[in-house]
Amino acid sequence: MTLSGFVIRNAFRNKRRALLSTLSVAASLFLLVTLQTFLRELTVPPEDVGASLRIAVRNKVSLGMPLPARQRPLIEKIPGIAAVTPFTYFGGRFRDEEFTRFAQFAVDPQVFTNVFVDAYCPPEQLAEWFKDRNSCIVGQDTLKRYGIKVGDKMRLTGTFYPVDLDLKIAGAYSGTPDDRSVFFHHKNLDEMLGGGQTVGTWWVRAASAEVAPQVISTLNATFANTAAEVRAETESAFQLGFVSMWGNVRLLIGSISSVVVFTLLLVAVSTMSMAIRERFRELAILKALGYRRRELFGFILAESFGLAMVGALLGAGGAYALFSSIDIQKLSGGMFVFFEVTPRLVAMAFTVAAALGIVAAIPPAIAVARTSVVDGLKTLD
Amino acid sequence: MSAAPAPRSATDSPEKPPEFIVTLRGLSKIYQQGDVNVTALNEVSLDIARGEFLVLMGPSGSGKSTLLHLIAGIDRPTRGELHVQGIDISRLNESQLADWRNQNVGFVFQSFNLVPVLTAAENVELPLLLTRLNRAERKKLVATALDLVGLADRMHHLPKQMSGGQEQRVAIARALVTDPQLVVADEPTGNLDAHSAHEVLGILQSLSRDHGKTVIMVTHDPKAAAFGSRQIHLEKGELTK
Ligand SMILES: Nc1ncnc2c1ncn2[C@@H]1O[C@H](COP(=O)(O)OP(=O)(O)OP(=O)(O)O)[C@@H](O)[C@H]1O
Ligand SMILES: [Mg+2]
Repeated sequence: MTLSGFVIRNAFRNKRRALLSTLSVAASLFLLVTLQTFLRELTVPPEDVGASLRIAVRNKVSLGMPLPARQRPLIEKIPGIAAVTPFTYFGGRFRDEEFTRFAQFAVDPQVFTNVFVDAYCPPEQLAEWFKDRNSCIVGQDTLKRYGIKVGDKMRLTGTFYPVDLDLKIAGAYSGTPDDRSVFFHHKNLDEMLGGGQTVGTWWVRAASAEVAPQVISTLNATFANTAAEVRAETESAFQLGFVSMWGNVRLLIGSISSVVVFTLLLVAVSTMSMAIRERFRELAILKALGYRRRELFGFILAESFGLAMVGALLGAGGAYALFSSIDIQKLSGGMFVFFEVTPRLVAMAFTVAAALGIVAAIPPAIAVARTSVVDGLKTLD
Repeated sequence: MSAAPAPRSATDSPEKPPEFIVTLRGLSKIYQQGDVNVTALNEVSLDIARGEFLVLMGPSGSGKSTLLHLIAGIDRPTRGELHVQGIDISRLNESQLADWRNQNVGFVFQSFNLVPVLTAAENVELPLLLTRLNRAERKKLVATALDLVGLADRMHHLPKQMSGGQEQRVAIARALVTDPQLVVADEPTGNLDAHSAHEVLGILQSLSRDHGKTVIMVTHDPKAAAFGSRQIHLEKGELTK
């Protein structure tokens, strides 16, 4: 037997309690990770600095219905509009993944950079992208995830559209809060589809925040009573439209998360204290045998920390495994295209668990340190 | 236990060992309970020779356990001198004292106090985990100690799979495994039937007689006391004859 063997044996001496406390940590961290992922997916785009200037224009009937390409010259004429690009969701699959973890959009490259001003891409790569109709730019996060680089080819298998795209990666962009997407030439898509009559949505940049409301109402008015009526809204509104009735989502989710963590802390502290209280006499014997306070603290800490970490592994790992394997788009009725448990969120869950494991060990360790061998021996089993 | 060499023996002086392993002079222990002082031990002076099997007797509350705890270094005197193995143990700090206990004292209690989730061998190994001995060395010492108490065949049994007498013998093996000079036992047969008590007492006796250990045992039972080489009596915290 070793000291760590002793700790493990102790941790599982009451199997049911070890299991229940691990599961309660796991369930709470699962909830925490889910809430935080939810929050992130909701709020990532609107936090973008350019978001207040960006206006999304979509078919009034539904987001899924296309808009006619001939709207473009009319939009360009509206005063207060600095730039307009088509913006069509391709929804292709990459490398036979069942659920592709990044979106691809067909845009007008020259205008795109004027609309999405916070995406940074080196000028020579941009020039390359502008030149080559079969090229694209890819977000840094996606490049990293798949281990691909500028100059590589990427093949996207159409799911909405009956065409496949073979794109050369001309550039990498970064600097947006969510560097995951792929942007390619709308003309490329138009050619493949043999048309160019329609686009998914238009994205417009208003010249200033002051004129944005005016631009929105003009846009809506311009196409009123036409075959394709539009709904224009700011990017933030576009993103948050479906949850607007919830008010301050961040505050709500933040509060729930805090309550989850706090409750978990109380449970962990009381569980650990109980587990140690039952062993007071035994710990007194260990002291008599020559174990020092710091060794006993080490035992308690290792047990508490270990159980919390197993809980984190189950909870955060479970959330990661679950959300990477389900089709969130289908399950959420289109509310979410992605529901990605990022490494950062997993790290956050483990940090919470680590803190929990340490904090829960302190009160019982203090109680043990304060009890003399003789007093400990007098406690009943 | 001559087969098991001392694992850590920093306190063994290189000179001739003292004639008395324990020397007490005017030792008192006074508990403060609110405004009342309870004198558990009053000016006790005593010498215990190496290899003795000393039996402490006396009525309940007379201070037997208190005296044993002081000698074993798990409690501190209020006044007086207390030398064990030539060391004034009341001057050691917490952590030195813990080390000292690990090397010099073996404990046997009335309730056997084994760790329920550990096997007999693992319970015996506990004090050795604090030493620098490697796994093989520890294993050998554990086997020797369990053999000495006649439980070589129960190595892998959990406490709940053993009888009370066997549990107490495992506790004795745990007390012996570090090869301490001093073994203290507080009513070791208090929870045992006559037969098991006889076995346990026989082992304690042979420790002193055959292995040169100094054994100090508290008991109420005159039959148990008869196993010792000397008896002393406490009454109201003072030694009588
Ligand atoms: N922690 C304490 N606080 C106050 N008084 C104490 C404490 N521990 C022991 N005493 C008192 O000290 C005296 C001696 O107690 P001790 O436990 O040494 O007796 P004992 O001879 O071992 O008795 P028993 O045979 O019942 O075990 C008793 O009067 C007891 O009440
Ligand atoms: Mg007593």
